[in-house]
Amino acid sequence: MNGANGEDPSERPAEIRSIINGLERYNPEAAGVLEAYLSQQCEEKFCDCNANRALLKLYQLNPDRIKDEAITNILVKSMTQFPSPQFDLALHLLSPSQTSPAAKSDLSDAIAKLRVLNLQLEGAQYARFWATLESDDIYADLTTDIAGFEDMIRVRIAQLISQSYREVDVSVLENWLGLDDEDDTKKFAVETCGWKVADGLVQIPKNAENEAKKTEIREDVNIDMFARVIKRSWEETA
Amino acid sequence: MATFQNGMAPIRTMDNDSDVEEEALVADYKEQVQYEDGLDDQEPAMSQQDDIQSRLAAAAQPLDFSAGLEAKFSSYDNYCSLFHHILNSEGPVDLEPPSYYWAWDVIDEFIYQFNSFSSYRARIARQGTNEEEIQMLRENSNTWGCYSVLNVLYSLIQRSQISEQLNAMKRNEDPMAVAGNYGTKNLYRMLGYFSIIGLLRVHCLLGDFSLALKTLDDIELNKKAMFARVMAAHFTTYYYVGFSYMMTRRYGDAIRMFSHILVYVSRTKNFQKSAQYDSITKKNEQMYALIAICVALHPTRLDDTIHTALREKYGDQLLKLQKGGPDSLPIFEELFRAACPKFISPVLPDFDHPENNIDPVDHHLAIFMDEIKTTMWNPTVKSYLRLYTTMDLKKLAGFLTVEPEELRAWLLVNKQRSKQLRWTDQSLLVGELVNVSDLDYALQGDLIHISEAKVGRKLVDWYLRNLSRTYA
Repeated sequence: MNGANGEDPSERPAEIRSIINGLERYNPEAAGVLEAYLSQQCEEKFCDCNANRALLKLYQLNPDRIKDEAITNILVKSMTQFPSPQFDLALHLLSPSQTSPAAKSDLSDAIAKLRVLNLQLEGAQYARFWATLESDDIYADLTTDIAGFEDMIRVRIAQLISQSYREVDVSVLENWLGLDDEDDTKKFAVETCGWKVADGLVQIPKNAENEAKKTEIREDVNIDMFARVIKRSWEETA
Repeated sequence: MATFQNGMAPIRTMDNDSDVEEEALVADYKEQVQYEDGLDDQEPAMSQQDDIQSRLAAAAQPLDFSAGLEAKFSSYDNYCSLFHHILNSEGPVDLEPPSYYWAWDVIDEFIYQFNSFSSYRARIARQGTNEEEIQMLRENSNTWGCYSVLNVLYSLIQRSQISEQLNAMKRNEDPMAVAGNYGTKNLYRMLGYFSIIGLLRVHCLLGDFSLALKTLDDIELNKKAMFARVMAAHFTTYYYVGFSYMMTRRYGDAIRMFSHILVYVSRTKNFQKSAQYDSITKKNEQMYALIAICVALHPTRLDDTIHTALREKYGDQLLKLQKGGPDSLPIFEELFRAACPKFISPVLPDFDHPENNIDPVDHHLAIFMDEIKTTMWNPTVKSYLRLYTTMDLKKLAGFLTVEPEELRAWLLVNKQRSKQLRWTDQSLLVGELVNVSDLDYALQGDLIHISEAKVGRKLVDWYLRNLSRTYA
């Protein structure tokens, strides 16, 4: 995997690299360093899911070290990488009792709420995502540490739209971007995305993903494929 | 995607249909089995069995299925003292492993006992009725602890310098030059090597699927790996690697792993020793179930042997999985439960609150099912889009009796899932993002433009396959 999906970002300092690639990742004391690094990611708007999983792993092995806030921040950070397995990979490392709906704790409630949000992003239900985010004050609390959370989600949605759409209605776009009015939407489309707007339609420039060109898959033939046949015929005559 | 559309060499989802590699492995394995049969006939050279030799042999023996808690505790103590002796004596101990399989059997049994002990302890805590055993488990809370199991495996890896040795081998250098005092000895080298595979398994059991894949960085799966000579090790490795790939949504890579090992098993079936073969029959079935899951999520052409066996074993289920929708969900759950590893939780269960102890299998299954539910309409979307070159979204929504906004989400989801990381030739975790679907589309407002990749006939492939069948 590469930096593009927040797995191994170029921002990762050498100290963190040596922790997650060595036995230090099992040292409970390393949790503090990884927590500080998580805060840095939250402030500086990058994401290192690999390092964050090392922190979750330490929590998994040393439940007395758990900081609820770090867990929810990791989940919110990995959510911004949608669509990707990052959020799920983080969930797998949590204790079953934290993710079960039966458990009644602040942490399990928060996790359940974040899971709903993530499912909406993964399921491309962008309008519903913004509505959910507005529906409960707890979401503001959970995302407050993550600088630029809404903007990151908005930019990511726009990016995904550009991979499927050549033209999109301004009204559809407005709902998906969670913006309040048409003017803001047009402004975002033109200024942030560099798209054009004409007659209530947003035009997205051609790219490799939104063309849907016809292709033919042809057989790929090379000499190696015949190696065995040739070898066999040689052996038989020899 | 870019390569897919620019008319360059198209990326096939399983580009390595060639079975040359499996064939070479099969021949190698056959030779080895025959060689060992010859050895069995010879008189054992040494008849004296001192204490340490019998301890070595005992460590590789399975614990009786009905063994009580006491036996489980003492088995743990035996492992600890044996590994302590091997790791912490002054200098390397001068021992030869009793057999070629010994090192694998020890690591395998060690992890198996850790796994079944953890599951058993969790079950006792969940039931909360067996006061006597709960008391014993509380008092021995460090027995079979996760940290000590990880510690043993990592120590064996470090002592043997096995990572350094494997890296030297990759560079075509002499591994003995970097093996150190310990690693030059067979005992340490073998234990170290199989501990890597042991770690793969432990990480997977704990739900850390990316770390599981990373563990194998030093082992080259596609070359003649050391583990290939021990059938059970070979088999275990592919099962856990395949499973980890599935959990990281790399279904194409998972299928490649499962196919490789299942083809290999089907070809070596005839000269397997029965005991070894029996032990892998169950895993064999599990891997077919996992292939069924993966191929439903990522339609691809399978090897003929696998395809036929899959249809025999899971034909009905596969049809339902491939149709998708809510009806497929129970089948996904059923197959996942039947085929997943026995997941464990690394910490002591909550004996005071039996209801707080949730089976880790339920936990991982629920997360896996989140993604299955998200993508369950993909087959429906694809089957309709295949019929048209252009289609109005509202009209299609009418056919499907869903709201247009719902269909927009389905279209986006399906399109987004058509890209998958695929292994290239580096470490298992690395991959390139490729387009894995033969169906592509783009939207212009509510107008869907659809294009389907036409697959030309694969004449050369067909010809070669039949030719090799005739001569085989």
